[in-house]
Amino acid sequence: MALLEASNITKVFGGLTAVNDVTLTIDEGSIVSVIGPNGAGKTTFFNILTGIYKPDKGDVRFNGQSIAGLRPDQIAARGMRRTFQNIRLFPNMTVLENVLVGMHTHLRAPFWNILLRNRSLRLEEGKARDKSRELLRFVGLDDKRDNLAKNLPYGDQRRLEIARALAGDPKLILLDEPTAGMNPNETVEATHLIRRLRDERGVTVVLIEHDMRLVMSISERISVLDYGTKIAEGDGQVIRSNPRVIEAYLGKAAGHHG
Amino acid sequence: MAKNPPHTPETGLWNQLNAWMTKGPAGYTFLSLYTLITSALLITNPRTSLFTDIVFVLFLLLILAIYRSRLDMRFKVGLAVVALGFVLPYFGTLNPYYIDVATQAGIFATLAMGLNVVVGFAGLLDLGYVAFYAVGAYLWSIFSTPQIGNMISGATPVGEGWFYLFIIIGLMVGGLFGVLLGLPVLRLRGDYLAIVTLGFGEVIRVLAVNLDKPINITNGAQGIKDIERPPLFFAPALKALGFNLDNNQLYQLFFYFMVLLVVLITMLVVGRLKNSRIGRAWTAIREDETAAIAQGIPLVRMKLMAFAVGASFAGAMGVIFASKQLFINPPTFDLLRSISILSMVILGGLGNIPGVILGAVLVTLLNLQILPRIAEILRTAKEAGLPIPQSFDPTQYQRLLFGLLMILMMIFRPEGILPEDRRRQELHDHDDEPVEGQA
Amino acid sequence: MVAEANVSKQNLQRQRTLQTLRTVFMPLGQLLLFIVGSAAVLGLIVVVVAFFLSRSDPKIMQTAIAILPQVMIDGMVRGFLFATIALGYTMVYGVLEFINFAHGEIFMVGGFVGAGVAYLLMQWGLLSTLPWIVFIVIAIVMGMTVSGLLAMATERVAYRPLRNSPRLVPLISAIGMSLVLQDVVRLIATSSPLGFNARFETPNFGKPFQIASIPLGERAIPVQISPKAVIFIVAAMLMLLALNYLVNATRLGKAIRAVAQDRATASLMGINVNQIISLTFLIGGALGGAAGVLFGMNIGTVNPYMGFIPGLKAFTAAVLGGIGNITGAMVGGIVLGFLEAFVASYLSLFTGGAFSGASYADIAAFSILILILIFRPEGLLGESTTQKV
Repeated sequence: MALLEASNITKVFGGLTAVNDVTLTIDEGSIVSVIGPNGAGKTTFFNILTGIYKPDKGDVRFNGQSIAGLRPDQIAARGMRRTFQNIRLFPNMTVLENVLVGMHTHLRAPFWNILLRNRSLRLEEGKARDKSRELLRFVGLDDKRDNLAKNLPYGDQRRLEIARALAGDPKLILLDEPTAGMNPNETVEATHLIRRLRDERGVTVVLIEHDMRLVMSISERISVLDYGTKIAEGDGQVIRSNPRVIEAYLGKAAGHHG
Repeated sequence: MAKNPPHTPETGLWNQLNAWMTKGPAGYTFLSLYTLITSALLITNPRTSLFTDIVFVLFLLLILAIYRSRLDMRFKVGLAVVALGFVLPYFGTLNPYYIDVATQAGIFATLAMGLNVVVGFAGLLDLGYVAFYAVGAYLWSIFSTPQIGNMISGATPVGEGWFYLFIIIGLMVGGLFGVLLGLPVLRLRGDYLAIVTLGFGEVIRVLAVNLDKPINITNGAQGIKDIERPPLFFAPALKALGFNLDNNQLYQLFFYFMVLLVVLITMLVVGRLKNSRIGRAWTAIREDETAAIAQGIPLVRMKLMAFAVGASFAGAMGVIFASKQLFINPPTFDLLRSISILSMVILGGLGNIPGVILGAVLVTLLNLQILPRIAEILRTAKEAGLPIPQSFDPTQYQRLLFGLLMILMMIFRPEGILPEDRRRQELHDHDDEPVEGQA
Repeated sequence: MVAEANVSKQNLQRQRTLQTLRTVFMPLGQLLLFIVGSAAVLGLIVVVVAFFLSRSDPKIMQTAIAILPQVMIDGMVRGFLFATIALGYTMVYGVLEFINFAHGEIFMVGGFVGAGVAYLLMQWGLLSTLPWIVFIVIAIVMGMTVSGLLAMATERVAYRPLRNSPRLVPLISAIGMSLVLQDVVRLIATSSPLGFNARFETPNFGKPFQIASIPLGERAIPVQISPKAVIFIVAAMLMLLALNYLVNATRLGKAIRAVAQDRATASLMGINVNQIISLTFLIGGALGGAAGVLFGMNIGTVNPYMGFIPGLKAFTAAVLGGIGNITGAMVGGIVLGFLEAFVASYLSLFTGGAFSGASYADIAAFSILILILIFRPEGLLGESTTQKV
């Protein structure tokens, strides 16, 4: 069943069409990659899905309901979470607090309960902490839970961002270049973690990625954007042999020869 | 990328001393002696003087020492109760000046904690905070004096007993004004918000000056005098205990305890909010709005809540302040007041509750005690023939003081004079104490 | 062949000159358009309101029309004041995305320098003997130099070390700088013969120019413009032209615009970003200083706290015109100046004295700021931009 259906999305900035009539369907439980050269409109597309930009044309349906026009926080509350290309943690909060913030939409304690710090509040907070620790164990950061996020090494920051996204019990998680800046070892670990997201947690994963080895090894489907337009779609085999994709990546000449 | 620097053991002489004095038997002895000596000095020599000033400051710093020590919680609470609940009020009956300083410090501590919610927690720079304080103060002043008759013809002032209800009303009206101001402006970027709140503060002050016509609401520049005070319900009990105090002293004690109570409640409320889903959402917004909204945090609603919570403390405190002062007028609520509260928050460290209280106490002491004292010294020095500029009176140069404080703190110590979180971190890193649950 | 090439070269040269002239003078044209436009719109509103009110009191219409020309002149003077101060805010915001809170104080310092120069000239007995144009040039040049250098120094000391901190941090530092400058100037002024309220002595500029005279009942209301106001407007216009030339037609201007667009890329292109930022503060500060001198001369006294409210309003003007946009700041200043002059003069007339116009003019200015920020945060001339994530 389709979890996310983006149909005919178009977004124009000034005179530049950043995303042009893109349609993308993502099945529940799949791992899908969106690739394309730099500036192809991938991150803009993510920003439209998560509500940071409103599309000029087209509709986004998530879990059967239209979410185009909702605010980013409303979309996040419906179970779509994301990470950012250039890591956006809360630097002066601890690792544990970062995950607790991710749980915001699941904590319902009314204002008065917080002031009175009564049983139901303590119960909720306790549960939230337990769950956060469990998530931190899942990504392997539990022993660093009291460090400030800004003091984590780079790879840990990426993993913390994933744990924070998981804290909202998302159905869908959008990863924007999750291995950017990682060395080959870290990339292998990240690949493993992404697969576990789906296999152990049942989260559908969409990722933007430049590392072709990762993309090919992990994705069930791949969509290719170039100049804001979707130029190809299919599994790794199909994409690898698509002349338009090769052209987009390597230039026209290569496309003709290869 | 860089890991935490490895923790160096406490090597410096001061650090060793600090560690030794705040823990174990030495700690208990030290704090008890500290309390005993300063208390004795205050009570045996209550005359206003430079010496008493110094002892008084040391006495207030005792509370900080108690707070920072790592001793048994019951001992710490007990000592604080003795110092603030008995010694200071008794000293106040001997010398009314110092207890008034303490009361004012408490008022500012509450205001600073309220502003801290807005600026420190949520990262919204509010330069018109004193407007909410003015709203609370005018509320009680208008309704408790014949001024109400100028506004609504035939209306008579409410009785003195309504005071307590009006604290609650002040709380709510302050919060309401916070929401009213916040609704239009909280979508704005941070630096625009600073300007708009500054403008709002000025607008409220200008309104206070000008709203004596067409309907006389605020009595204009003359201000409102003879503001009602609550009944002294505890006077007979004190008399029965053998304390013979005049009304002035009784009111001083009353407002001292009232403010102390409000400070404690504020600490509790603000502290609990900080460690809740709400406080975490505020901090997240302060740290990175885009990332916060991606976690499902509704930005405008949470910012409004911060504004309303901060404003409501100011509204409630305004009621108490008006009643304590007996007289208010528009200049009481000028921009400099907002700035001084902001500098308390900055001095103490944005977001840091004990730090902000310390900041409030220090700035109040500076304003009420230290600057006048320096002015006095300068006067004598000038009489002795030292070349000091003719018109230089340090008490009149608060702007310079607050300005320098802001610049220097921002450049050299943006985390405040009492960086609590890092200490907690350090503590945790090598002592392996539990982080939570000490409150 | 050679002749042809020469002709085309000349053509090119001429085209370029034309281009430069257009970029330099076009904003001025826009400005004049807005002056006429604001005056017309507000004048019309006044007449319409007066018309309805005059049913109950026929005198209102007469008075309203009689004071109208004076109010417009007043609005123009205020407008140019806000415009020249607003330029400093907008230029700094353009390159740093930072509100220089202390800019109002830079303006105030300019006023004090002017007053100081005038005082010294008077002491030396030169004030009445110097030609007035020489006096004005000396005062403005001194004010511009001191204010410009001071603005540069504040950036170096209080803002540059904080350039990579969270936004709130340099903003707080700037508020601190504003307070420090107020009291330092106060300390200097009160320990000098100038005093807290310093008189700004000027040579005798002669009688006000009589423009017209409007009959009102038996009396005739004269429409006058003081020579000081004329000097203010002319000097402000000259400065705006010079700034336009500097920003749009010189290498330095190109560098400033490049830094405003993208600091990192500009630095890759070999532009010394720190130097450009310093120069931006210098230019903005110099303009503010000149405005201070002209303002002080116009009012007759200066005091250390006088910069705060005009600074706030000039910032409003900058936002009104679209912050970061130089023409926008001028236009915003003009519009705000007119609005304020109209509120100040007509509010008490139209409400039968129930609301004092002068006090509510401030409130009007801030209300405009809030309304603009809510409904059109990009300003009158600004283009909407989207934040990049």
